[in-house]
Amino acid sequence: MSGLEILSIAANATIQDAGRPGFLRYGLSAGGAVDPYALAEGQALLGNAPDDAALEFAGAGGRFLARSDVWLATSGAEMTLTVNGDARPWRQSFGLRAGDELRLGPPQTGVYAYLHVAGGFQTEQVLGSRSTHLRAGLGTVPRPGIVLPFRADLPHSQQPLKLPRPGSFSRRCFRVLPAPQADLFSAETRQRFLAQEFRIGQMRDRMGMRLEVEGSAAFQAETGLSIASDATNLGDVQITGDGTPVVLLVERGSAGGYPRLVTVISADLAALAQVPSGELIRFQEISRDDAVVELRKYRREINTLKDLVQPVFRDPHQISGLSGMNLIGGVIRGDEEDNHDDD
Amino acid sequence: MGLLVVFGQIYDPAINAAALAFDRALRADLPDGVIETVPTFRSVLVRFDPLEISCPRLEGHLQELLARQDWLQAEPDDAAQHWVLPCVYGGARGPDLGKVADLMGRREDQVVAAHAAVELRVAMLGFSPGLAYLGQLPEAWNLARRSTLTPEVPAGSVLVAVRQTVLPATPIPTGWHAIGQTPFRAFVPAHRRPFLLAPGDRLRFEPVAEPCYAAFDQADFLRKSGG
Repeated sequence: MSGLEILSIAANATIQDAGRPGFLRYGLSAGGAVDPYALAEGQALLGNAPDDAALEFAGAGGRFLARSDVWLATSGAEMTLTVNGDARPWRQSFGLRAGDELRLGPPQTGVYAYLHVAGGFQTEQVLGSRSTHLRAGLGTVPRPGIVLPFRADLPHSQQPLKLPRPGSFSRRCFRVLPAPQADLFSAETRQRFLAQEFRIGQMRDRMGMRLEVEGSAAFQAETGLSIASDATNLGDVQITGDGTPVVLLVERGSAGGYPRLVTVISADLAALAQVPSGELIRFQEISRDDAVVELRKYRREINTLKDLVQPVFRDPHQISGLSGMNLIGGVIRGDEEDNHDDD
Repeated sequence: MGLLVVFGQIYDPAINAAALAFDRALRADLPDGVIETVPTFRSVLVRFDPLEISCPRLEGHLQELLARQDWLQAEPDDAAQHWVLPCVYGGARGPDLGKVADLMGRREDQVVAAHAAVELRVAMLGFSPGLAYLGQLPEAWNLARRSTLTPEVPAGSVLVAVRQTVLPATPIPTGWHAIGQTPFRAFVPAHRRPFLLAPGDRLRFEPVAEPCYAAFDQADFLRKSGG
């Protein structure tokens, strides 16, 4: 079978695509890639469809064996990547031959990293998506021994492509709108929240990330009334019973009773989720109109990623040992038009 | 982006009926650019794409709909589904039944009869996929949640506290009292209708013995229930 065999893998790795939007009224959050920009990077490098499925890693990687020839790409947080022990650059497309071993080590920047294959992983589809939703028990959970299938009918030798590193990894200030329950907090509490620096906590997953506050009173809501649960929105920052802020992410509970103070704008949420634990961040309130402008910009960046894709030209002297392995003609010549005649 | 239409702060059947009726009316004539609506105990979240419909325009649409009637006087949905779900009360399937009986000062069989006598409404689905919050039980059921959390109760558990019944469709952690379990599963991912319960549905539990639980066939049950 065509596939990528998992030799070892971090417990929190998942299969992710664009998720399952539209089921929130039934209690199912959409899930999908934590970093949609990074998912789109991989699709641009491979010419994939926007909702093709990739492997998502959250701070740790794994080892994989190509059971057949395959064309892949990496995106998102930069992990250490080796093929048969040789280091390879990140955010590029590349080929593996049957029997090659791929190893992904911990990320040097960011948290969420993606491994894509041409055509997307062909794992089980439930409710219109291949996304692993851990809490709902949907989709394939990647485990050692599993062979992740991919399409055998796509070319596995192509011109390697690369994308520039996005600037978003160095961001530490994230824009917010007031959340529906902001008025349950005093003006003083809201101001303090926006003036405050937060440390990204260790307790984080696809549901949410805890923010730690040092040497400051907790952010309690004013009212003694316990409000009944209502629906949560992606990016809501809820204040738990002990006053700890938690940023709600793609796999959040669909409803909650904790008051929500602000909502991180969609254009900034993935960049926030990519901040490593222990780092300091802050929030900045913007207007609703500005949030729409930022969303338009963010979508345009995603839609024009394919224009940023560049061919990888490598020094033939450095890869002469590889040419004997009949890798890819195009790697050596950098000729996009006609790169199959050595095959 | 989202706009939240709020009918009250607490769970109250009239507030909930208002939210559900507003949601039905909104969905009957959904403006382009609205991604989904999420009715809850006390509100409706309207998620939309601000590049397809501007926030002021959607807000205008919602205000106009709000002004159309007194939603707090809204009647429950006539077309709502009506479920009678078999339930094994007590024993291993409802380990907290004895404690609930003690808290209510009644015998276990009285508690079971009282719970099964009430016609409940699905007030909202949420927290986990397909989990139904069912309201509302009489004042005698105004029980505090337990002080400790059970790490996991199985799908179909019948949980009570604060005059409500919770019916999870997947295993969940809970601080509510487990008094029984139904073999009915409200979330079947492979089914053509993966979510069987809808907000506003009427629902009653029917006490059955253990052999009925084992013999329960959901496909057969759905055929008979018209599902």
